[in-house]
Amino acid sequence: MADGMISARIFEDLQTKIDEDADVRDQIKVILQTLERQGRNAQSILSRAHSTPVAHLQPVIASAEGAIKDEVESIGKLAGVASNSPYYKYNNLWTREVQNVVFAVLLCGWLGGMAMPNKPAEPGKLLTIEEVGEILNVPVNLKDRDAFHLTIEEYLQSLITLIEELARLAVNSVTLGDYQRPLQISQFVKDLHAGFQILNLKNDSLRRRSDSIKYNVKKIEDIVYDLSLRNLVPKST
Amino acid sequence: MVGVKRQHDGAEKENEVKASRFMPMFEQFRDELDQHHDRRERIIKASRDITAASKKIIFSLQRVRTLNAEIPEKIAKETRDRAGAMQRQFFAIAPDLEGINAWRYQRQISGGIQEYMEAISFEHYLRTQTLITMEEASKSLPDTIDLTSDDYALGIFDLVGELMRFAITTIATTGALPGSTAEPGGRDVLIDLRSLRTSFQALDTTSCGGTGLGKDVEKKMEVMKTCVEKVETAVYGLIIRGRERPKGWVPDLADDRGAPVESY
Repeated sequence: MADGMISARIFEDLQTKIDEDADVRDQIKVILQTLERQGRNAQSILSRAHSTPVAHLQPVIASAEGAIKDEVESIGKLAGVASNSPYYKYNNLWTREVQNVVFAVLLCGWLGGMAMPNKPAEPGKLLTIEEVGEILNVPVNLKDRDAFHLTIEEYLQSLITLIEELARLAVNSVTLGDYQRPLQISQFVKDLHAGFQILNLKNDSLRRRSDSIKYNVKKIEDIVYDLSLRNLVPKST
Repeated sequence: MVGVKRQHDGAEKENEVKASRFMPMFEQFRDELDQHHDRRERIIKASRDITAASKKIIFSLQRVRTLNAEIPEKIAKETRDRAGAMQRQFFAIAPDLEGINAWRYQRQISGGIQEYMEAISFEHYLRTQTLITMEEASKSLPDTIDLTSDDYALGIFDLVGELMRFAITTIATTGALPGSTAEPGGRDVLIDLRSLRTSFQALDTTSCGGTGLGKDVEKKMEVMKTCVEKVETAVYGLIIRGRERPKGWVPDLADDRGAPVESY
């Protein structure tokens, strides 16, 4: 035929690239399946915090830390495969599961888990993006190298999920007879809200989700109001 | 004077925004995200400019009537000037696309790159009657700008539309198809178009999962089929009715303008 126009290699190479890319995507998806399962496990353990008084929370935290450790192992495998390709070529595939892991780590840390060398665990604490990176054993906000890492956007998205979770926890704390925690949550969430307000967000999913923070702030304020109305607010903090 | 905000027990509330213990952290995030958004905006703007310049180059090249020959100087000068301006655009945003950011902003620069691909592959075809390879196309871009295989292939898809236009306009104005099968091994534009079409048909994009090259592949192949058939119809018209038509008569190309090939 007219093989003078098109060097045979051109379309062979295109096909090879298509097939190689498909291979990488398949490898990633296999790891993500495991990570998703492990994520659901960690979530189900952590959700027990809504029905467990603070005094008995330690076993739940320990169990959650174990589940998170499994997730960290999967993240390691993911990082290994992902780092062989440009980070932003495939990151859409894993970002949702990564955010779930970060959320689990943040929640566990807030409940009083995830102690690290030189950083004692205490309830009500926010783990920084660097600390989360250490726990997951991945770099954060990588700029000078092209490798798997945790992005600022992923951390922020997970923070929003944490806020939603804490709003729910505030409600359930009152049910469990804990009138101190809602106050702690209220101040914590307000401080985060103030932080989000100084970001210049564009019209993306981060912006849309962060719009919901103020509703959670109000929800928690209402709980604190309900408590103070009934004189249930502990006098000393 | 506005009253002082108070807590539920009467104590004064500090200004919430100032007191947030997370403010330094968020200030850092803000700076990072601002930089990212600025970069993104610059690249979007450059992509638009590159697209516009490429379209103008293609428009100029459509005035060529020969194949396998140097571009006539008048047209070449125009395209050289525009190409020069475009290269400056590319160099201007090359730093923004360095390293990890090359793929980060792929979607933003892709449109410009594909249009650029269309222009240089068209120019290459006019001069050499061959399809520019990915290596050759890559070399024409600054080192730090990556040509992805998707952008290369999608640019070639669009080239088919331009070749169709080139073929039909040349038939209408010169009464002959560009290229010739007169000599052994000679090819004309229709033969070349058909090769492009069969090469693309042979590509298996099912593993793309509806992204990149696999996206809308059925629609693209349909468009390609239509382009080839338009040229075949024009050649048929030439042969059947050519003698009855005065030279220089231009067929109504209005419906070609709407070809979806342009919409990337």
